[in-house]
Amino acid sequence: MRFLLRRLGFFVLTLWAALTLNFFVPRFMPGDPVAALTARTRGRVSRDALEQMLTSFGYKPDQNLFVQYVEYLGNMFTGDWGRSIGGQLGEPVTGLIGQALPWTLGLVGITTVLAFALGTMIGTVAGWRRGGWLDSLLPPVFVVTSALPVFWVALMLIFAFSMNAGSVLPGTFNYDNSIVPGFSPGFVGSVLQHAVLPAATLLITLIGGWILTMRNNMITTLAEDYVRMGRAKGLSPRRVMYGYAARNAVLPNLTGFAMSLGFVVSGAVLIEFVFSYNGVGYLFYNSVQNVDYPLMQALFMLFTVAVLAALLIVDIATVWLDPRARSADAGGR
Amino acid sequence: MRPALRRGTRILAIALALLLGGAACSDTERRPDAKESGSGRTDSGPKKKGGSVTIANTAGQTWTCNFNPFNPAVFNTSIGFVYEPLVFVNVLGNAAEKPMLAKSYRWNADKTEIVFTVRDGVKWSDGKPLTAEDVAYTFDIMKRVPATDLYSLWTSAGLQSATAAGDKVTLRFKQAAQTYFYFFANLQPIVPKHIWSTGELASRPDTTSVKDPVGTGPFKVDPCGPNNIQYTANTDYWQPGKPYLEKVQYPAYLDNAPANLDLASGKAQWGSQYIPGIEKFYLDKSADHHTWSPPVQNVAIYPNLDPSHADTSRLEVRQAISYAIDRAKVAEIAVGGQQPPANQSGIVTPTFEKYYDAAAVTKAGFGKPDPDRAKKLVEGLGHSASDPLKLTIITVTGYTDWDAALKVVKQNLAPVGIELTVQNLAQQAYLDKLYNGDYDLAYYSQPSGGPTPYYELRAMLHSANTAPLGKPAVSNHSRYRNPAVDKLLNDYATADEAGQVDIVKQVGQVMIDDVPVIPVTESVDWFQYNTEDIGGWPTEDNPYAQPSAYTFPDTGQVLANLYWKPAQ
Amino acid sequence: MTATTVVHTPEPAARQASGGLWRAVRHNRKAMAGAVILFVFTVIATFPGVFTTVDHPDELAFPPGLSPSTGHLLGTTGLGQDVYSQLIYGTRESLVIAVVAGALATVLAVLVGVTAAYLGGIADDVLSMLTNVVLVIPAFPLVIILAKYAGKGSLGVILVVLVFTGWSYGANQLRAQALALRNRDFLQSARVRGERRSYIVVFEVLPNMTSLIVANFLGAALYSVLTAAGLQFLGLGDPASASWGTMLYWAKNQEALQSGTPLWAIAPGLCVALLGVAFALVNYAFDEIGNPALRPVRRRRRER
Repeated sequence: MRFLLRRLGFFVLTLWAALTLNFFVPRFMPGDPVAALTARTRGRVSRDALEQMLTSFGYKPDQNLFVQYVEYLGNMFTGDWGRSIGGQLGEPVTGLIGQALPWTLGLVGITTVLAFALGTMIGTVAGWRRGGWLDSLLPPVFVVTSALPVFWVALMLIFAFSMNAGSVLPGTFNYDNSIVPGFSPGFVGSVLQHAVLPAATLLITLIGGWILTMRNNMITTLAEDYVRMGRAKGLSPRRVMYGYAARNAVLPNLTGFAMSLGFVVSGAVLIEFVFSYNGVGYLFYNSVQNVDYPLMQALFMLFTVAVLAALLIVDIATVWLDPRARSADAGGR
Repeated sequence: MRPALRRGTRILAIALALLLGGAACSDTERRPDAKESGSGRTDSGPKKKGGSVTIANTAGQTWTCNFNPFNPAVFNTSIGFVYEPLVFVNVLGNAAEKPMLAKSYRWNADKTEIVFTVRDGVKWSDGKPLTAEDVAYTFDIMKRVPATDLYSLWTSAGLQSATAAGDKVTLRFKQAAQTYFYFFANLQPIVPKHIWSTGELASRPDTTSVKDPVGTGPFKVDPCGPNNIQYTANTDYWQPGKPYLEKVQYPAYLDNAPANLDLASGKAQWGSQYIPGIEKFYLDKSADHHTWSPPVQNVAIYPNLDPSHADTSRLEVRQAISYAIDRAKVAEIAVGGQQPPANQSGIVTPTFEKYYDAAAVTKAGFGKPDPDRAKKLVEGLGHSASDPLKLTIITVTGYTDWDAALKVVKQNLAPVGIELTVQNLAQQAYLDKLYNGDYDLAYYSQPSGGPTPYYELRAMLHSANTAPLGKPAVSNHSRYRNPAVDKLLNDYATADEAGQVDIVKQVGQVMIDDVPVIPVTESVDWFQYNTEDIGGWPTEDNPYAQPSAYTFPDTGQVLANLYWKPAQ
Repeated sequence: MTATTVVHTPEPAARQASGGLWRAVRHNRKAMAGAVILFVFTVIATFPGVFTTVDHPDELAFPPGLSPSTGHLLGTTGLGQDVYSQLIYGTRESLVIAVVAGALATVLAVLVGVTAAYLGGIADDVLSMLTNVVLVIPAFPLVIILAKYAGKGSLGVILVVLVFTGWSYGANQLRAQALALRNRDFLQSARVRGERRSYIVVFEVLPNMTSLIVANFLGAALYSVLTAAGLQFLGLGDPASASWGTMLYWAKNQEALQSGTPLWAIAPGLCVALLGVAFALVNYAFDEIGNPALRPVRRRRRER
């Protein structure tokens, strides 16, 4: 119970800290949304008119900052996130996020899971055949790939695949604009085709970490008594590898995996920027550029909540998968 | 980079449009003649219909599918396509006018009252006829909901009333308002009363999202998605036979690079942003690829003239800077020669050629870079290349053409004894310093101009547009105050056409004498076009409208004029 | 690190820690490769003038868009600068960001982590809570907000932002290890001897954590290299600065890949990658040198 309360306190505190930072940092800096919009409309429109326009969309510069802050915290929790006062002036923030989120979840989410699954598999085999060619080749290669700047990998893939070769693999948009979205084979195919390069970029830079940690965990686990025991019992190597060694070696990685799922929502800013992919990462970058407080605030809260939710899952999973609790079960097999 | 480059073009467009408005101010009934009108010379006869054009103009965000013409964020995709103004003013054509929803208009003698005659036979896209009521109602919305009065017509312009009678609409102003003609007749589109007087649109015309716009323009939205707007031809359009194209595709390019790639591959035909290395990347790819980006305004160094800024308030320092800058080189490097060099008189050429006094510029020695003269001026102040005068210039992070230009300026100034430090600031921080006069030198371009140089010059130099240091100035950020210039600019509003040209030339002379602002390059209306399948583009020989896809309402002129070659 | 922690007298422990580290690095090929790259970059950063004849690589001194030649090993940029000399002069800032941000983040991590572990009680609760809060707030979006609203992306701003977001992971790890060390015999004996707390922390605890501290520094440096490059690439740095990230920013907005000067974008990215790889290799080698069984699960400290 005490643990639960502490945890709850931590979640609330984190969320509050994130929201507060996000509220005050932009407001204590020079400049404001009106100036940004003045520049965006090339001054064609007078400053007063723009301020009035922004006010009608909920921007209240003259109100006491503390009152604004309290109101803001309340609105964040009630889901009253307001309307964009940036480039997409007047659009409800929920609508903008709702439109962008599926793309990020689809692209980054699926790729994160894929990277974890593939990386774990390759790492398992590499660790099992320690000293084999795979094992001697993999670590240096993947130490390198996991240290590459992700946006540069993206640029290189665009350069190699979508610039000259008749755009076989598109490096921009999330589907072909000539297709009307719907559940047609053409649309789904187009979505997949447009996801290849960004997904490949993510895979290349993500998978190395999973392979390396899984390999190392395998090596450690293989030295454990229960694995030797399994071998001594004459179980098939495959059974020992997956059922005994990998099963346990993957446990320490699950926490990291859950965390990385939490960072899916916020993690793809650079990828989405380079590939002009309409996800929440790009939306966030744009909201910061345009001093779009409501959109920026809602997105940042979403990012933080996603991580907290992942943490919650980790907490539950830890209790559930506790090795000591599980050892009785494993012994019974 | 995107904002800087595009902003330049727009400004030019506005400047041009304003110029036209000014020229249109006679008290006789104006009916612009057909030669000058939007149909242009190339439009030699009716065209067959068919085909489509794809626009590659970086949006930087996905489409919101809102087509409310009072929302400045969606101007570009609604005005010109769907909504139309009363009169189109061609900034590039010596302010030539083309009657649109108003078939004619008449000013009273002192330019305080204008009567528009509304064109008959125009239908809204829902089939209802356009009436004078619609026009008056549009202006009433702006009075009732000030947030929609984007051009401050009911405040600064002094609009008093907008009344409809028969097919006439009368606008009454407090004072002479012909310098606002460009805004209320050309920039402000007309909306249908029967749609805007009911429901949410009636109560909140500013914030309500318009998904299914009803307008009089050549195209209708059908359908709109986050990635692409497809427009289809309005078959009931009032200009007979037009538009010729059946469809317009407007994808939401988030970045210049993919937009430019699609232009180079021919997938998109109408480009409206800077293309680096345009010869190799675009023009050489096909004989049908063309570019023509007409200049519209100045990008300039704004010195802080307040006496507390000892260096920049000295005339010699400003002259030295202006003499030292190799404007042709700046233009060549900064945007690959796609923007022309500016001149010290501040008159944008060739667009406003008739206001330009080349002899005066040459006489003052500003005809070409003169580093020796600059060096002498700096030496007179006790500085040299080895003991340079140190100045800092502020600019906006992300305006890469400005950054590149300043690299050249810095190189130009070093040998004459001025060490320039370029300070990059985020846009908000930059504007904060600029507006409040907290800088020595600022690289800047007036965000709006008009159809004559008057509009930009007034913004730069009139003391009504400035403020003491620490208070935000409207547009005269260098804090220039000169009663003689104020008087000249004030007289412009009631002067006749020749008088206006004369006033602008006099103000240009002040620019040369006082160097209150140092123009460096001219900003342009970015435009690339593909003639393989599509004809009817605006060109240097036939500049019937500003050509970029982001300059409204000019887009409407271009859209109505484009035709599909294979169908002919 | 296990080898060092079992040693009971503090002085030999310290010596053995560093001596052992160096020997281990020398015998590990990955570590050697990383160390060599770092050494080369350090030399270039210190004496850039030796490697190129162009003194002001920012100046637009050449015809734009030249292909590689003996005069311009990597060609010129679309604006007319020598790509190779920009690369050479950009080394310094990129390396400084990595080392300084990495070092400061590590110092902060040590301060918070070890203090928390050693003080215990409420101080520990508060500091751990703080660490976890910073750890959980999505770093890269926060970095973007901070850098954007600082008004200008000067070196100082970037360093502060990187340190602010980069210390928490290490603090958590260090706290855990310091907690484990607390009850070791040699610390008990020091306490019995009546040594002051500060003495114990500085001379007995820290030397035994050298290995983890170094690993943390390497991780933080890698994070700083990649994040700083990402920030500058997005245009949130100082576009007038000489660094690889800034080069990438210019290459991107001048569309280097499309307009025939691809090396302008490829070369600086490769250098960022090399520097990152160097830190990662040494770091990985550290893991190998230590006992694999004790290897912590690393939170992925890079933005995607």
